[in-house]
Parts: sequence; structure tokens; C-alpha cells
Amino acid sequence: MTVREIIKRFTFIEIFQGMALTLRKMFSHAVTIQYPKERRPIAPGFRGQHALAKDRSGHAKCVGCGLCVTICPSQCIRVQRDKGQVVGYEIEVLRCIYCGFCVEACPYGAIVLTENYEYSVYKKEDLLLKKDRLLSSWDKYMPGKKGEDYFNKFWRPMSEDFGTPPGQSGYKGKKQ
Amino acid sequence: MNIADIITPAQVDALIQFGITLVIIIAKIVVVLAIGLLHVAYATWFERKVIGHMQVRLGPMRVGYHGLLQPFADGIKLFFKEDIIPAKADKAMFYLAPVIFMAASMVNLSVIPYSRNFVIADINIGLLFIFAFAGIGVYGIFISGWASNSKYAFLGGLRSSAQVISYEIAMGLSLVGVMMMAGSLKISDIVKAQEASVFGMYAIPQFVAFIVFSISALAETNRTPFDMPEAESELVAGYFTEYSSFRFALFFLGEYIAMIIMASIASVCFLGGWTLPWYITNYVPFINYVPGFVWFLMKVYAFIFFYYWIRATVPRYRYDQLMKIGWKILIPVALANIVVTGLIKIIITTLKGA
Repeated sequence: MTVREIIKRFTFIEIFQGMALTLRKMFSHAVTIQYPKERRPIAPGFRGQHALAKDRSGHAKCVGCGLCVTICPSQCIRVQRDKGQVVGYEIEVLRCIYCGFCVEACPYGAIVLTENYEYSVYKKEDLLLKKDRLLSSWDKYMPGKKGEDYFNKFWRPMSEDFGTPPGQSGYKGKKQ
Repeated sequence: MNIADIITPAQVDALIQFGITLVIIIAKIVVVLAIGLLHVAYATWFERKVIGHMQVRLGPMRVGYHGLLQPFADGIKLFFKEDIIPAKADKAMFYLAPVIFMAASMVNLSVIPYSRNFVIADINIGLLFIFAFAGIGVYGIFISGWASNSKYAFLGGLRSSAQVISYEIAMGLSLVGVMMMAGSLKISDIVKAQEASVFGMYAIPQFVAFIVFSISALAETNRTPFDMPEAESELVAGYFTEYSSFRFALFFLGEYIAMIIMASIASVCFLGGWTLPWYITNYVPFINYVPGFVWFLMKVYAFIFFYYWIRATVPRYRYDQLMKIGWKILIPVALANIVVTGLIKIIITTLKGA
């Protein structure tokens, strides 16, 4: 044992260094966020609870084409059509992995992932989101301009790029 | 037959005197127990706060302002929890162990002088009494470990009794220096001797003993870095693994009271108890108007804070390291301290005589 080691052992110098550190940290600001009172700012493009988008007139944009159903990796979306009308749209939230493929796949920009992440419930059945709940959560979490901004910024809808390039001959859509 | 035939007026007076003393003693006990239990409750809150802030967290914040009512919430929760007793436990011993543990640590509250005139029993072997009851506390720990019929509890009990017994020696020897300087085992005499001494408090001339005492007080109360008996990562919770509900609360109470007792001994024997050193009182005269128990409590709080500070800093020792520190370092150092103190005392007395 060298002299240095003996001095270290008998003066507890390392323990005192550690204690100085803990004392310094005691007067530093705590990193805790008091959750229900304080909240972390939600990151842009957050993928939370689902919603079915509405157009300006207040109707659902969804036409029930079923692309989201096809692309969903966890197969948690079910769409029911009857005579050209979407009669049922269900998302099993418990199975969803929030990949956002449904949003990317949708040619009409009809489905979104909102910023809401607080939807715990007491019953499992309540997490099977039905069409009316999905539509109402659009009003709740994506009101007005926010919905549009959110869409154009993060989920650039395929509806904007849909169609053939202008130089190419082909179907250009129905003339009004 | 007249009452005056059976009992003389002098005897009546004596009886009344006795009754008054009894009432005063009971009132003192009630006051000390109530304040002591309140201190235990807030020691847990203070611990969680201090350690929380040292780990850059906040600690309890929800119940009351900054979690001030948290101890009561914990107490109520523990009180209403299910009291589970293991099927193969030794029931009688299982019931008895927490009571022994808590009683052995609570009894010590009676001999500690909180202020110049406030002590329940100022007995002439005060320090010895405290050691004796610290030794009885080991029975509670060991019986609880054995009666639970669980290997974790048993190992915790074994470790704890070995540790407490070894460190009691170091602690006792470290206090011998103080007793020699004060010339008494009576705790209030020790405080008075410190007040009259040149240094004002024995932590200065007896600083080696003070360090030894601080370390062995940590080990004696099973606190980190010597919390081998309760090593969560190895033994679940140590000797009280099988205890739940209010029996667990009794262990908890006993442990915190033991901690407060150790802090009180440090305050009384080394830091001057309710007095302040003359070099402070002479230069800041108005400080004499502050009641003595304020200083006593401040010293106790400082020592308890030191406990928590250590807990937030130092990791747990290995078991053989623990024993090595106890037997190979602390006890020889404490013995050397006794020899040196005795020598200096002899030299001073001969010089005074000459």
C-alpha cells in the first residue's frame, strides 16, 4: 500500500468528495415533472389517439375504401360499407401499434393520429373506438386550423400527390 | 375506627407528594412519546425529501403542501393493511418480536436530557442504560428473523445481530473517552462538564471518538452503508420480510426511534446537548435567551441529516468489509483513543497538582 492509498483510506477523501456532490445536487433544480399539474410539451407529429377527419362542411372524409384496413400491420381497423355509405368504422386501440401507416395510406386524408394520449378507461370495451367517437375526437383534439396544419405538416396526404404528373397523358380527373 | 388511626397526616402528605410526582412523570412521558412519535413520522418525510433532492427528484409532493401529510397517509395505510402471519411461523414469538424491538428503543427516550430541566429519569448510569437497551433490541431483530420461518428473514436476523453486537463494542469504546473526560456516566453531568470545559463541546478534543461513534451509530441502527440486514437486493427486506401491516409499522417506528436516540447521544455526548460553547455565548449574548431544547433539537436534526446524506452518497459495504471495518479499524482506534485520553488526563492532573 502506497502512502497515497493510506492517506486516501484514512481521510475518507473519496467519501467526502461524493458527499460534496450529493450536497451540491440537493440544491440543484429537480428534474421531476408533476404530471397532472405540469405537462411536457407534446412533440410535433405526436402519434396519439385516432380520429376520423371531417371536411369543412362537417361530413366525414372517409369513403370506406379500405386501404387503411389493408395496410394496418396489426389489423386493428374494421370498415363496414353498405350501399356506398360507410356504416361502421372501428379501431381496436389495444392492438394498434401507432405506426401511422393508415394515415399515410389514406388517399383522402380521412384518418389522423391526434395529440391526445390520455384515454385510459375502466372497461376494455371502451377502447374499441366506434365511428361516432372517432369523429367526435376530431372535433375535440383537432379543432379548426390545427387539424389542417397538422395534416399538411406531418401527414402530407396522398390526396395532394394523387394523380398522374401533369406532363403525362392520362386521366386528369372529372371536369367540373 | 377513624381514618386518622390508620394513617398519619405526615403519611397523607407523603402520599399526595407521591401522587403529584407520578402525575408529573406521566405527563412528561406523554409529552416525550407524542413528540417522539411525531418526530419519527416527520423523520421519514424528511428522509424522503432529502434523498429525493439529492437524487435530483422531488420526493413526496402530493399529500398536503409539499407532501407534509404523507407520513400520516402512510401510517393510515399501514394500519388498515391485512395482517398476514406465515402459516409455519412461531406465532407467539412472531407477535412478540416487534414489540421487544420497539420497546427497547423507546425506553431510551426516557434517559435523554432534552433541556436543562427536562428529562424523565436522570439516572446515574444513563449511557450504560442506553447500551443495555440497544443490546436488548437485538433480541427483537433476531427473534423476528427466527420466528418468521423464512430464509430471508433468518439471514437478515443473523446478519443484523452479528453486526449490532460487533459495532456496539466500537460504539461503547468510543464513548469511554467522553465518560473519562466528564468523569461520569450520568448524561446530564456529561453535558454540564462540556459546558464547563475549555472546548465547549467534546467533539473537538474527542474528534477521533466522534468519527468512530458516527460510523458505528450508522451500523448500530442498520442504516446505509451498513444496512446489510435489510439489503433489499439480497434479502428482500431482511428480518422483517414476513411482517406486514401494523407489525411492520412497529419495526419501522423502532428503527427510526433508534436513529433519533443515536442522534441524541451524539448531540449530548459530543456536541454539547442543550448548551452552546462559551466562545459563542460570550460573543453573541442574546443567544442565551433561546431555550436549551432548541439547540438540542438542532443538533439532533443535523446528525439525522448527516445520516440521510450518507445514505444518499455511499453504496452498501460487503459483509466481510463491514466486519473488517468494525473489528480491525474502529475498535483499535477507539482503544487507542482511550489510552491517549487517559494519558493526557493523568498529565493534566499531575501538572495541576504540582
